[in-house]
Amino acid sequence: MTTAEDHLFGFLRGLHEGGLRVPANKQSEFFAGIETLAPSTVGQLYWIGAATLVTSEPERHVYDDVFRRFFGLTEAPALVVTDEPADDTADEDEPTSMPGSGEAESVVADATGGSGLAASTVSPENVRRFPATTPRAHELIRELCRELPRAVPSVRSRRTRPGGRRQRVDLRAIYLGSRRTRGEIMRLYWRHRPPRSRRLLLLVDVSGSMKQHSADYLRFAYAVVATCPRAEVFTFGTRLTRVTPHLRLSDVDTALAALAEVVLDADGGTLIGTSLAAFLDDHADLARGALVLVLSDGLERGDCTAMVAATRRLSLLAAQLHWWSPLACDPAYRPLTRGMSAVLRDLDALTGVDDLDTALTAVRGKFATTQRSAHV
Amino acid sequence: MLLDHAALSQQLKDRRYFADEGLLTAVRLAIALGRPLLLEGEPGVGKTQISHVLADALSRELIRLQCYEGIDVSQVLYEWDYPKQLLSLRAAEVEGTPVGNLYAGEFLLERPLLRALRSDAGAVLLIDEIDRADSEFEAFLLEFLDTFQITIPEVGTVAAAVPPLVVLTSNRTRELHDALKRRCLYHWIPFPDPERERAIVEAQTPGLSARAAARLVRSVNVIRSLNPLKRPGIAEAISWAQGSLALADEGAEWTDALRASLGLVLKNAEDGALVAAHAVEVFGDDDR
Repeated sequence: MTTAEDHLFGFLRGLHEGGLRVPANKQSEFFAGIETLAPSTVGQLYWIGAATLVTSEPERHVYDDVFRRFFGLTEAPALVVTDEPADDTADEDEPTSMPGSGEAESVVADATGGSGLAASTVSPENVRRFPATTPRAHELIRELCRELPRAVPSVRSRRTRPGGRRQRVDLRAIYLGSRRTRGEIMRLYWRHRPPRSRRLLLLVDVSGSMKQHSADYLRFAYAVVATCPRAEVFTFGTRLTRVTPHLRLSDVDTALAALAEVVLDADGGTLIGTSLAAFLDDHADLARGALVLVLSDGLERGDCTAMVAATRRLSLLAAQLHWWSPLACDPAYRPLTRGMSAVLRDLDALTGVDDLDTALTAVRGKFATTQRSAHV
Repeated sequence: MLLDHAALSQQLKDRRYFADEGLLTAVRLAIALGRPLLLEGEPGVGKTQISHVLADALSRELIRLQCYEGIDVSQVLYEWDYPKQLLSLRAAEVEGTPVGNLYAGEFLLERPLLRALRSDAGAVLLIDEIDRADSEFEAFLLEFLDTFQITIPEVGTVAAAVPPLVVLTSNRTRELHDALKRRCLYHWIPFPDPERERAIVEAQTPGLSARAAARLVRSVNVIRSLNPLKRPGIAEAISWAQGSLALADEGAEWTDALRASLGLVLKNAEDGALVAAHAVEVFGDDDR
């Protein structure tokens, strides 16, 4: 029996080494499960482990690998694993990011010393270091933090608070108040639904063509996460990365350094359509009713149908969809590329923003929805 | 009593629920260990249905708590019946009788969680779409799921005589807290394999021929593989079968009936266009 136990403990250690950290109570549940259900086949053991040790679908892949290593193949799980489309698309993404083979792509590749493919592989030389934030930029970030809460539109909270406008009678307060007067109601108490700022969702393009702007864009994202309680930030180049937790650090340079560790596709090629579609597949609800800002030049390589379709869906989900583009800073700019001209009808605003100064102007304009006309 | 694999499987099958190996194990563990069971999966794969079926199989009461943004304790645990308390206070005043206990059981309105604890035979508690509630509510649930007891200041602590079997479902529109996941058994319900799906569709649609069911399930699987905006779940497949059957009973060809009732599977104009573009693959005739 001890050898079997050793093997199970070895399996748990294997999971730990594979990156799946199982808390102690889950481990004991795993053993309790084995004890109560007394699995007779490897397949049954597999499912006991799957229910007790795993807490999300991605973890399941780690679990599958380690399980296969320790207990050999089982016929049952294969069926589930193959039904996972996310992997196929991810595999297909990589090649398409590379052959972008158009001139523009190779220019980008030369300028940054790496092709889209190299950027998407995990290697330390792709970790991008951002220059230190200048005092002037610090000043602007502070200013942004002051302006943002006022600029983000608000919605009514679902949770009521006492007082305020006379929206709902507060029965509880009235009852408690009337106890003092032996059941006589002397005063009506009210509750109201206080305003709450909308979720702000930032999708930041960090591809090669945005190289000179992405640092400031990410500083803006830092200011957003620091001030807005329900903000979410994603970066995309050839893949989508959720960076909200990394930006939630007290110092902006530390935050950017932390971000450089996880955003491995910086300065590479651009796959706007695929990235936005990946966002919509996994996190569509973050965009629902939110104020969505896409910070990108909209220069999609190759076919732009995916980008147009994704933008359309995004605009249907979002309360407002704004596109901030460095190109639009030029008053002579007209969104004539096929992608941008098709996307334009789904945008609430196309605003020219290329650094913190222009971002501050846009925020001070309270995300006005009229700028679009300037470019059409 | 339902710990036995075959018995549980049969019980569910009798109630027209066809669970796979993984789900059966997860349910058996949830019953044996008394832990909450967290189910995730695409919409319409039977996450909610399993708790209905389980309640029926265990002959327990099903108590459902539908989560939504801003849900709070007074909608989940209990609330005092303030108008009633007020009236009895007034009545006592008018009649000159002493005011009784205003926090007696008669003034307590039980909400789902409290009801689940007080249920004599134990209940099946379904906390549906937990991802729709905000994280404050999730944090509040932790204590309940750990100890299965609730403290009401005016009354004291209410503990469950028989702990409820808790099923939580999530559509994964937001990441749940690790603290909550740690307390739960987890199972991801995938789309069923074609064979099981056919069994489900046939069981839920009386009068459907095996061949028609096979054709329909094949079409549904093709649609799923086209990567539409919303991949149709089993629920959609069933309503498609029922809709098509209704049309076929009026004399329509099966393929035509499938086409005509396509709106029961696809809920997006874009997906409709996608299927129209791949009509041959979706409705392709395999017997010609």
